[in-house]
Amino acid sequence: MVSEPLLRVEGLEVAYGEVQVLWGLDLAVAEQEVVALVGSNGAGKTTTLKALAGALRPRAGRIVFEGRDITGRPAADAVRTGIVLVPEGRQLFAGMSVHENLMMGAYARQDGMGAIRQDLDWVYELFRELAKKRGQLAGTLSGGEQQMCAIGRGLMAKPRLLLLDELSLGLAPVIVDRLVEIVTRIHRERGLAILLVEQDLNVALAMAGRGYVLETGRLVRSGAAEELLADEAVRAAYLGM
Amino acid sequence: MSQILVNGLLTGGLYALVAVGFSLVWGVMNVVNIAHASYIMLGAYITYWLFHLYGLDPFLSIPVSMAALFLLGYAVGSLVLNRVVRFGLVMTLVLTFGIDMILQNGALLLWSADYRSITPAYAGQGLAAGGVMIPYVRLAVFVLAVLFVALFSLFLSRTRMGNAIKATALNPFAAELNGVRIQRVYALTYAIGAALAAAAGSMVSVVYTIHPQVGNVFLTRAFVITVLGGLGSIPGALLGGVILGLAESLATVTVGIGWSEAISFTLLVAILIVRPQGLLGKRFFGGVG
Repeated sequence: MVSEPLLRVEGLEVAYGEVQVLWGLDLAVAEQEVVALVGSNGAGKTTTLKALAGALRPRAGRIVFEGRDITGRPAADAVRTGIVLVPEGRQLFAGMSVHENLMMGAYARQDGMGAIRQDLDWVYELFRELAKKRGQLAGTLSGGEQQMCAIGRGLMAKPRLLLLDELSLGLAPVIVDRLVEIVTRIHRERGLAILLVEQDLNVALAMAGRGYVLETGRLVRSGAAEELLADEAVRAAYLGM
Repeated sequence: MSQILVNGLLTGGLYALVAVGFSLVWGVMNVVNIAHASYIMLGAYITYWLFHLYGLDPFLSIPVSMAALFLLGYAVGSLVLNRVVRFGLVMTLVLTFGIDMILQNGALLLWSADYRSITPAYAGQGLAAGGVMIPYVRLAVFVLAVLFVALFSLFLSRTRMGNAIKATALNPFAAELNGVRIQRVYALTYAIGAALAAAAGSMVSVVYTIHPQVGNVFLTRAFVITVLGGLGSIPGALLGGVILGLAESLATVTVGIGWSEAISFTLLVAILIVRPQGLLGKRFFGGVG
């Protein structure tokens, strides 16, 4: 890459107490790029996203976003710099309505109600299912609808970089297809940079142009989506064999 | 009989206000705030001294006591409680118990254990209708208490800060990811709880005699009402307050006034057996589902 990427991660190391799970991770995401982080269970994918979103404090390394070092910033600040995480397991506000959840996404925004309403209309247009259920408690939605609400809430924060963690987890294939289609549409319409984590290699590389393969906390391979998909070693490593 | 019901209802309104701040702090922060008793007591003393030293009408001193306790609550919340809130219920229980001891003993030192009361000029007057006597003071306390509870409910549902408090109560991790600075929300929640306790305390000083331990009986009731109405539920606090007020009022004529504590705890045990999430406990709040 010639110019400075949107996100640049250098030598990132994260540990939970004594147990280190990320060892010197380097990665980059350019403007308007969709990048996948793949790997088997326990490879450190979710940990990476959490560290980027400020929910975990790295032990070493640097996170540079839009040319600024944001390493160690708390989560509440990461949103304000434009990095928004749609977490694993949705993490909706179960006792609040769909509408209230989406509006909580816009909590940290400073660009006025007009812009927020425009994005709200856009989110309801992307996810027509949600528009019909805006008054319903988020905890009573189906799994697919909850995932839509979580993505919608993330979009309401007006991200510069969207982090999607395990989009497809526990969802029926039809719903996963629909989510993949919507994420692709979001990228096409807004040119939004996305870093996504997936256990399902095919789902991940259907959305992303480029990918990184993680294995027990270390980067083992990176490249264009087609290359990785064709690589026997990647398939083997990915399935944990 | 109707006099008994009216008395119970009037007391119930005040009980609701006593409980609502306690219920908020418990529901949002998972802190059983023993110091709530002291905040009620301090609110009562602020109103008492403003009346005795400056002749300020007790109802007009409510904003003063609320503001003072809001500041104290914010200081305690941000400087002390925030350091231990993630260590769980027992740790914060011990801490707020300690704060309560300091404040109550401080009040004993400063103002002695004397019983004191406020008697504004209109203290003895009332409204007589259909054989029922309603003292103006108690009516005003009831109306104001219910008004405060209603305003607080609007604050939670209609304002950005209120929504942040609700979101933090439901899922602090997600709230943080959405940009909510939860340490600040905790401090603010605790401050609001203290301010509501102060408002209740100011009104307590008009209706009852006060002393440094005056908050303790109300703390017990706040606990019972919170469980009865449902953790963190504002309509629940209102309903629970009125039920407890009526139950106590009926108890005074049936089994005797000495049994009111027993009535409280019987209600507590009964609700825990029959409906542990409380009468109006909301889904997904307070981890009861």
